[in-house]
Amino acid sequence: MNTLSKELTHTVLYLDGISVSFDGFKALNDLSFVVVPGEMRAIIGPNGAGKTTMMDVITGKTRPDVGTALFAGQHDLTKLDEASIAQLGIGRKFQRPTVFESHTVRDNIVLALAGKRTVFDTLFARATEEEADRIDRVLDTIRLADRAGTMAADLSHGQKQWLEIGMLLAQDPSLLLVDEPVAGMTDAETVQTATLLKEIAKDHSVVVVEHDMSFVQDLGVMVTVLHEGSVLAEGSLDRVSADERVIDVYLGR
Amino acid sequence: MMMTARFLRLTGTSGLILLACLAAAAIYVPVANQFIPETSLFHVSTASVVVFGKYLCFAMLALSIDLVWGYCGILSLGHGAFFALGGYAMGMHLMREIGPRGVYGNPILPDFMVFLNWEELPWFWHGFDMFWFAMVMVLLVPGALAFVFGFLAFRSRVTGVYLSIITQAMTFALMLAFFRNEMGFGGNNGLTDFKDVLGFDLQADGTRIGLYLLSVLALALMFLICRGIVLSRLGKVLIAVRDAESRTRFIGYRVEHYKLFVFTVSAMMAGVAGALYVPQIGIINPGEFAPANSIEAVVWVAVGGRGTLVGAVIGGIGVNFGKSYFTGALPEIWLFALGGLFVVVTLFMPKGILGVLSQWRRKTAPAETAASTAPRTDEKAEERA
Amino acid sequence: MARSCFSILQRVTLVLVLATAFLGGPAQAQSDSPAELISRLAGADFRETERIVEALAATGDPAVAPVLEALGEGDLFYRRSDNAVFIARRGGAGYLLTDPLTGADAGEAGRREVTKVRVNNSLRRAVRSAIGTLTLQSPDPGVRMAAAEAVLKSRDPEAIGSLDAAIGREQNERVRTVMERARAAAVLNSDASDADKIAAAQTIAEKSDQEARAILMAASNGASAQLGEALAYAVRQVERDLAMWSAAQNVWYGLSLGSVLLLAAIGLAITFGVMGVINMAHGEMVMIGAYVTYVVQEIIRNHAPFLFDLSLLIALPLAFVTAGAVGMAIERGIIRFLYGRPLETLLATWGLSLILQQVVRSLFGPTNQEVGAPSWMSGAFELGGLTLTYGRVWIIVFALAVFAVLVLVLRHTSFGLQMRAVTQNRRMASSMGIRTNWTDALTFGLGSGIAGVAGVALSQIDNVSPNLGQSYIIDSFLVVVFGGVGNLWGTLVGALSLGVLNKFLEPYAGAVLGKILVLVFIILFIQKRPRGLFALKGRAVE
Repeated sequence: MNTLSKELTHTVLYLDGISVSFDGFKALNDLSFVVVPGEMRAIIGPNGAGKTTMMDVITGKTRPDVGTALFAGQHDLTKLDEASIAQLGIGRKFQRPTVFESHTVRDNIVLALAGKRTVFDTLFARATEEEADRIDRVLDTIRLADRAGTMAADLSHGQKQWLEIGMLLAQDPSLLLVDEPVAGMTDAETVQTATLLKEIAKDHSVVVVEHDMSFVQDLGVMVTVLHEGSVLAEGSLDRVSADERVIDVYLGR
Repeated sequence: MMMTARFLRLTGTSGLILLACLAAAAIYVPVANQFIPETSLFHVSTASVVVFGKYLCFAMLALSIDLVWGYCGILSLGHGAFFALGGYAMGMHLMREIGPRGVYGNPILPDFMVFLNWEELPWFWHGFDMFWFAMVMVLLVPGALAFVFGFLAFRSRVTGVYLSIITQAMTFALMLAFFRNEMGFGGNNGLTDFKDVLGFDLQADGTRIGLYLLSVLALALMFLICRGIVLSRLGKVLIAVRDAESRTRFIGYRVEHYKLFVFTVSAMMAGVAGALYVPQIGIINPGEFAPANSIEAVVWVAVGGRGTLVGAVIGGIGVNFGKSYFTGALPEIWLFALGGLFVVVTLFMPKGILGVLSQWRRKTAPAETAASTAPRTDEKAEERA
Repeated sequence: MARSCFSILQRVTLVLVLATAFLGGPAQAQSDSPAELISRLAGADFRETERIVEALAATGDPAVAPVLEALGEGDLFYRRSDNAVFIARRGGAGYLLTDPLTGADAGEAGRREVTKVRVNNSLRRAVRSAIGTLTLQSPDPGVRMAAAEAVLKSRDPEAIGSLDAAIGREQNERVRTVMERARAAAVLNSDASDADKIAAAQTIAEKSDQEARAILMAASNGASAQLGEALAYAVRQVERDLAMWSAAQNVWYGLSLGSVLLLAAIGLAITFGVMGVINMAHGEMVMIGAYVTYVVQEIIRNHAPFLFDLSLLIALPLAFVTAGAVGMAIERGIIRFLYGRPLETLLATWGLSLILQQVVRSLFGPTNQEVGAPSWMSGAFELGGLTLTYGRVWIIVFALAVFAVLVLVLRHTSFGLQMRAVTQNRRMASSMGIRTNWTDALTFGLGSGIAGVAGVALSQIDNVSPNLGQSYIIDSFLVVVFGGVGNLWGTLVGALSLGVLNKFLEPYAGAVLGKILVLVFIILFIQKRPRGLFALKGRAVE
């Protein structure tokens, strides 16, 4: 017990025996895995392997039928709503870039900025120097400083992806969930994104869901392969890609 | 200087024009009514003062709808209910103020209760003899209904058209309820035959001008309050909710609290509009709850331009001006015109009159890019359920 | 030839009469002809008269009823000169005579020329029961039924004997049931033994209606303890059954209302539920259907009145086509530009509904139009303790039929398949060669057409006016949302259960408050289950 709780406090994310079913279809089936602080983890798997559902469970959008999901060893993610989970420090980037289109780039960051989130705090909030500094730093990181006044709707697809990552940075979560960050990006953008993520991973734990193998290769991190809602293999990319079962799932059947 | 700049920021250019127009109307109408001879073209009859006052109340209703719909994406088809509840709260005070001057001369009971052989005042009529109490109720009753309704609806994440449909059901249910005599609000006939307010005769020119001026003032104040809300960081959150609700949640905002706040504030504003409407019109009846009224108010906002506030005021006044004109001159045409307005605005002018104006201005002066906060209609603001 | 036959018959009768005279007893008296029997009334003493009365009753010939009635009233006389018997009423100088059997005029008679056939109280009683027996044994089952029901009302113990006789002979099941019931009612009203009465109470309790309750309650006055208990038990049984029937009647009314809701909502289940289009002009599609019915009936009235009973059948396809065409025009003209913007669609179609109402108002005037019911839709029948009107039955049948057809179309036709494909994955469907635009238009047309068909049915129970549709729009949306959007079965269950709920609330809360409560219930229900009764789950929903 003691060792367990000690172990738990050393995890950022702890999933154990999570199952979710929709109308009889098991989207997640006894899924378990652990992310430790500072770790970057890549999740791969074919379509329908349960990657998005897993993200939904972690961020409170979907409630699992059974299983444990703990954040930082103590917060039960199955009992909290999206806003509480976000406030605890789990950020999520969606597969399709979703930024606030009728806000400027800067306002998008302002909204994401860590801070109090109650109605009255926001009603009487004043912009501070310190905030402005942080916003500028984030804008620099995502290379959108010169577009701060542009409406988010007018950004290119890749820029929207970065803006979304920037919003995650501003939120300053201890765990980032990133869903297919390079989908639809040009090769140059993909490389830049990989660099960006590696930079972020220096002081955040990151879980990346990705299809693009070369991108995962670029990241050079531990890989978890999902298949039919549970973990099929775990290890370095080289190791898992040598795994018989993984090859079956990806290539044949 | 500093103050002026902040005020300008608060009103915005179009808002400043609007306030100036309101100020002009506040000065001109009473003067034209009292001092310009009736024979003159510039004279404003007392009947017209009342009609203008009515338009101002509708503009307030439109403003309240724009706050929730234009900025937070909540399409309420039940705002007429809050308007009517405010109106009833005011009407109840005016009924009590009639006192023994009613047809039956009962000092406590309003005429309709005497007519129904009621012995004593229902509990919910107590206190309405005091003006301040009635005014509190004007805010509290619509606010409380909106709070309870919104609490339930937003907590369960009822959104989009589902919310629209149940708000419509809400006002429909209230209409049915208020039509019943047993409810104690005068049933079919509603509340009417008011005599005076705070001792001022409601038929007197002075009172009517006073109420008109009060309406101008209330509209201006409400406009500034709305601007204050939408310009604050909370306003930014509202727009974020409107454009990408679940995204807003995932960055840690408790969306239901924001919706609840703005919905309740908006309902109170609608209540105030109703409370100013009743003494000017002289009657409030259950017909005000009709779902068609609420949905018509939504189209005022759409015509003026949703998400602009100024547009809502323009729409509220403009459409009703058109309605008065048509129903007088060509009554058969009015429904065609109103129906056509719904279709044309949604199809061809998704940003309303104000959107068309700013588009036209941008064409003539391309350098000036106004940071419009009007919702973009090209992107899928709401996903198809 | 006929004449000789008749005389033979007469002779046979004579022989039989003679035989009867020797043997006596009512059994043989049956063979006497009524005329013969009547003629013997002249100068008969009370005992003889009573025998004749019984014999007359036993003939079962309805023609003797007036004779018996006249006898009971003291209107039966015989002529002294020839002992012929007449019914006589005072008139002219003496009496106006009529033939007792044929009712034919038989001239007048002076006061001295005729003598009354005398009756006493016991004889009068015999006459009454004879009349009862007579009608109870009439060859016409309708008359027998009426007689039995008359006894059931009067609860006359005198009738027990004739009922016993009649029950023994009765072949008709339904008539016998009523007779047994009437007998039981009479027994309960007589001074029969407790055991008999308890058995009678059980008979009465077999059919539970207000009358049974009244009979049993009346019988419990002054009853012995044992009997009282049995009666109380029977009353409870009846009351329980009554409550059950009244609940069943409520369910029926509820289903009837539910079928109306279903009709109004079913088209919306397609346009809103399947396509996700908020068509606020849906009610106007229903209205158009109702006006098509009106126009069809007008034409038939003026040109081919004999077709009137078929008017609704003729109107159905026309309403479907008309409303469907209007629907397709709306889809192509307006809605397709607004896909993915439900709130704008809502506003535009609301505007459209105003225009459509005004068009109809300009064409047909603002007043209610008269739409008649064909003969097969009027009238009612009873089922156990329920009264069902044909009109309602047909509407329920029709609503379910429309629903069934719709389900079949969606499941088993290629159009249904394409429609589902387009709504589930537009891009995929398109790349597989489905013309998605065309499918959209047809789907919307289908939903609108069904609304039109619903209008034909609703024209039978609602006022056909330009506002017809408005009264259904909110209800229809609530039904679809309540049942679960995108789920036809949800709409069915939603409509019927809301209808029943409404009708169960009505007795307690009144019609208006009942409706308000239902609205509040739905509003709260949607809070609890935002996706309705039968929600689609999973990622596809988002």
